Amino acid sequence: MWQRWFTVKGRSLFSIAFSLHRLTGIVLTIYLCMHLAYLTSIRMGKEVFESFIATTVTPQFLIFDILLILAGVYHGVNGLRLIIHEFGLAYESRKSILYISVAIALIVWLIASYRMYVFVMGV
Amino acid sequence: MDVEFKIKRFDGEKSYWQTFNIPVKKGMTVLEGLYYIKENLDGSLAFRASCRMAICGSCAVKINGKPRLACETQILEIGNKLEIEPLDNFRVIKDLVTDFEGFFAKHESVKPYLIRKDDNYEEPVELIQSPKELYAYYDFTLCVKCGICYSVCPAAATRDDYLGPAAITAAYRFNADSRDEGEKTRLALVCGDNGVWRCHFAAECSEVCPKQIDPAKAVQKMRFKAAIEAIKSIFR
Ligand code: SF4
Ligand code: FES
Repeated sequence: MWQRWFTVKGRSLFSIAFSLHRLTGIVLTIYLCMHLAYLTSIRMGKEVFESFIATTVTPQFLIFDILLILAGVYHGVNGLRLIIHEFGLAYESRKSILYISVAIALIVWLIASYRMYVFVMGV
Repeated sequence: MDVEFKIKRFDGEKSYWQTFNIPVKKGMTVLEGLYYIKENLDGSLAFRASCRMAICGSCAVKINGKPRLACETQILEIGNKLEIEPLDNFRVIKDLVTDFEGFFAKHESVKPYLIRKDDNYEEPVELIQSPKELYAYYDFTLCVKCGICYSVCPAAATRDDYLGPAAITAAYRFNADSRDEGEKTRLALVCGDNGVWRCHFAAECSEVCPKQIDPAKAVQKMRFKAAIEAIKSIFR
């Protein structure tokens, strides 16, 4: 059943945007659970938490962080687009709004990825 | 010119593809192609059609992955290889014929007719309407109940009892009609979790509607009204 969220064959860009919204939603939910588990580790002591940080804030993990930011930014910006339409506004311009929101998501993602790269690699 | 029709068939038990080659003239529609097959090549092919002029909404099928009305789609506009399948999100009865019972029941359930307190069929009175009032809902009257919007809707794909874009559009069409007095009744019918709240604005319905009705717009307008009504009800 739920697989049908991801039917994109023969569909327009709007359905692709919808499928990506679902996909990124699932990714973010999984991430949220992991993130909370991670934060909870601080209850086991500062050392445990810091050893976690030392494992994940590394160049090897950078690619996952960059993908995660992409999922988060896309989900957020696309969500705002949906809210605009769901408030009864601008259906007629929905194609241009879709293009604009994808462009905004990409720009924000590139900037965020660059900043993370600088932070993790220390360049 | 010969064109290949690859048709997804279903005999009640198994589904399979069958290919037919048919001679095509300029201007010939996909529906005429299907009739050609039925009359000359395989009389057992089942499909639904009636008006042949995009009015009755019976002939919707998937052509090369996209749902369309077979009677208003010209074969050569698509190409010389056509893949024809029944609509998604509907149970297939035979070949290209799908079960529309649920779809029509949903349509009926939103009371798609004028509701008035002063209904009097013995002595009917003329209900005057200005052009502006007419245009508030006119576009939505063009729906031919073809089910194409429903067939591409991811919300309908994942939940059988979702009313779907066509039924909500029909509800909106009557709610926006200045002669109607049934707004509250219909809002109550469409504001459940199988109604407007189930829509996530994939907007595919508006992309495929052969009558360019913009059902997604009607659903959002209805949803907005339902939200206002829900907020008001807190203070009542
Ligand atoms: S809204 Fe459009 S796609 Fe949906 S049933 Fe009516 S005519 Fe067909
Ligand atoms: S046969 Fe009536 S809409 Fe195509």
